[in-house]
Amino acid sequence: MDLIVEYQAQLIAGTVMTIRLALTSLFIAVILGLLGAWAKLSNSRVAGFIANVYTTLIRGVPDLVLIMLVFFGGQVTINAIGAATGLWGYIDISQFIAGAGTIGLIFGAYFTETFRGAIMAIPTGQIEAGISCGMRRSLIFRHIIWPQMVRFALPGFTNNWLVLVKTTALVSVIGLQDLVYNAFTAGRSTRQLFTFMFATLVIYLLLTAVSDVLLRALERRYNRGVVRTN
Amino acid sequence: MDAVLSYIPLDITLIAENFDRFLYGVWTTLVLTFLALLVGGLFAIPMAIARASKHWLLNPIIWSFTYVFRGSPLLVQTYLIYFGLGQFEAVRESWLWDPILSSAWWCAFIAFSLNTAAYTTELLRGSIVDTPSGEVEAAIALGHSYYKRLRRVVLPSAFRRMIPAYSNEVIFMLHGSVIASTITLQDILGVGRWLNGRYYLAYEGFITAALLYFLIVLCITQLFRLLERRYLPHLRERDTTTDSAPLPGSIR
Amino acid sequence: MIDAPALQVNDLYKSFGDNAVIKGVSMDASRGDVISILGASGSGKSTFLRCLNLLETPDSGDVFLAGEKMAMKRNRRGHQVPVDIRQVEKMRSRMAMVFQGFNLWSHMTVLDNVLEGPIYVQNVAKAEAKEKAYAMLERVGLSDRAKYYPAHLSGGQQQRVAIARALVMEPDVMLFDEPTSALDPELVGEVLEVMSNLAKEGRTMLVVTHEIAFARDVSTKTVFLHQGEICEEGPPDEILKSPKTEQLTTFLSRLS
Repeated sequence: MDLIVEYQAQLIAGTVMTIRLALTSLFIAVILGLLGAWAKLSNSRVAGFIANVYTTLIRGVPDLVLIMLVFFGGQVTINAIGAATGLWGYIDISQFIAGAGTIGLIFGAYFTETFRGAIMAIPTGQIEAGISCGMRRSLIFRHIIWPQMVRFALPGFTNNWLVLVKTTALVSVIGLQDLVYNAFTAGRSTRQLFTFMFATLVIYLLLTAVSDVLLRALERRYNRGVVRTN
Repeated sequence: MDAVLSYIPLDITLIAENFDRFLYGVWTTLVLTFLALLVGGLFAIPMAIARASKHWLLNPIIWSFTYVFRGSPLLVQTYLIYFGLGQFEAVRESWLWDPILSSAWWCAFIAFSLNTAAYTTELLRGSIVDTPSGEVEAAIALGHSYYKRLRRVVLPSAFRRMIPAYSNEVIFMLHGSVIASTITLQDILGVGRWLNGRYYLAYEGFITAALLYFLIVLCITQLFRLLERRYLPHLRERDTTTDSAPLPGSIR
Repeated sequence: MIDAPALQVNDLYKSFGDNAVIKGVSMDASRGDVISILGASGSGKSTFLRCLNLLETPDSGDVFLAGEKMAMKRNRRGHQVPVDIRQVEKMRSRMAMVFQGFNLWSHMTVLDNVLEGPIYVQNVAKAEAKEKAYAMLERVGLSDRAKYYPAHLSGGQQQRVAIARALVMEPDVMLFDEPTSALDPELVGEVLEVMSNLAKEGRTMLVVTHEIAFARDVSTKTVFLHQGEICEEGPPDEILKSPKTEQLTTFLSRLS
């Protein structure tokens, strides 16, 4: 316990990095997810095909493989393109960008499915009712589609977020100084790896528990006026 | 052929030369993943039953177990076992240390098994709880005892209904198994990393690994499609146009 | 013991919390009796039936099946519990139940549904059980559906399978809990027909139902439950044609 206190600055810095990474990834994932859902529901065959390839590929390849591919391979590729075209000079992809980009890309696929399901769950009758009231498209979206989509998407969103937070731990493998990395370094130098890894585990549990409580409260807010049938 | 190959920005020859290593990596990955799924799954069955029946003592204990293992990263769990346990002299001097707890393979296997046991417990618990109460009552009224009910009606029904969700767990476990490479094991990703390190390559090893994982996921998806056809015929729409057509039970 | 009634119920009480649902109901069924139990919803008729095979545990009262008493005792909290769950299971297997919602096991074929009892409760040899099961399916007119799954049958067919599943146990008493209430009107007839045939064979049956015609034409005795008590009972043509109580008169007038 004394050791944890001694190294608390390192642990806190790591936790902050983990949260920053998770939120950045989430931001990218939500945007990709909305795009993907739009593509899958659109009438465009090409967009639907691309979205399907995207989600299938992501489901087929483990997160850490993609992270390493982007971090080690992406760097070389981008600089090779830069050198060949002369458009840009040497670019350094940081662990943070590689991690957030890849995790965002991965969870974008999961959010695609979440959002697609949420939009499809809205009864068409309600949209027709809006039209028959003379509501304009933008009004229908803001007042009917969006609030219900949020409601239907929230449980999936919560779940994706909880998995995402845990996935960020993998970025420590490519050297990002997140919670796992800092705890591991501290544990190694003090020869107390169990203590530090256990503390890490507890911090992750706290992060997921707090997220869970907050997001469930949000779910309840959006579920007002909905009778539970089971 | 060489002309074609030269357009591909990958060093195919190097991959081909080391392909036997990759195959060995595939073997390591598959054995780790599926042994963990098997052992974790076997542990999950009694735990799910205890959770579903709200056993006064076991339920809170098992809930805590699944909460911890589902709420924290598999990487941290693996590190805790592989790097962490050695902190204690008692562990280092026990009989478990030499053959098991000092070995990366065993530590990965233990961590993966515990992790999938936690997820599978909750999946199966949900499936058991969702068993239609009327079907359980019919089994009671027939004269089945508690265990026969479980064995003949509740579990077979719950297992079947769980198949689609369990396919996700299998794929997630395969994805999670790459963590083995972070504790020195030569699984698929481990070989990929080795190849890149050995020949100073940027992505050949990772691309090959990604392809191999992708193929395995395809096989798993296909396998589960077959399982669903075989075990979930009662949830499929039946073809009503030809009433004397082959019966669902006889489609193999 | 040979003269013991097929089923005898003495002074049964059951409440859910503060809500007393069955308040001292007694009933005798001799071999071959078909007793229809009528009553408005909330009169406790289904609960009564479910107390007989202990799907609900009665607060007090005795149930005898062919003279054998279902042995109950009180636990520390004063609740009735079975003395020997084995005996209860054995007795349940001798009074087969047909449910309102059919409750066929959805993951088993029709044949497996019917085979379950003989093979796994009565330990009948597989070949013999199969023969019996097919005979029962023949009786309800569904032997050509043996390999189907319940979800692929109509409601009426499902209920007939459920009757075959009950019948194959060769029970002393058959309990029917509103067997036609969940059916589309056009499917009610086929189920009632199967039940009438069973009655003609001399099966002992307790039927909770809303079908007045069935009560009048098929049953040997009719019981009218009102607020957890027997309000009127007797031969169907007597009590249905000239009800003595106001409650039964109101009940009948609402139905027609």
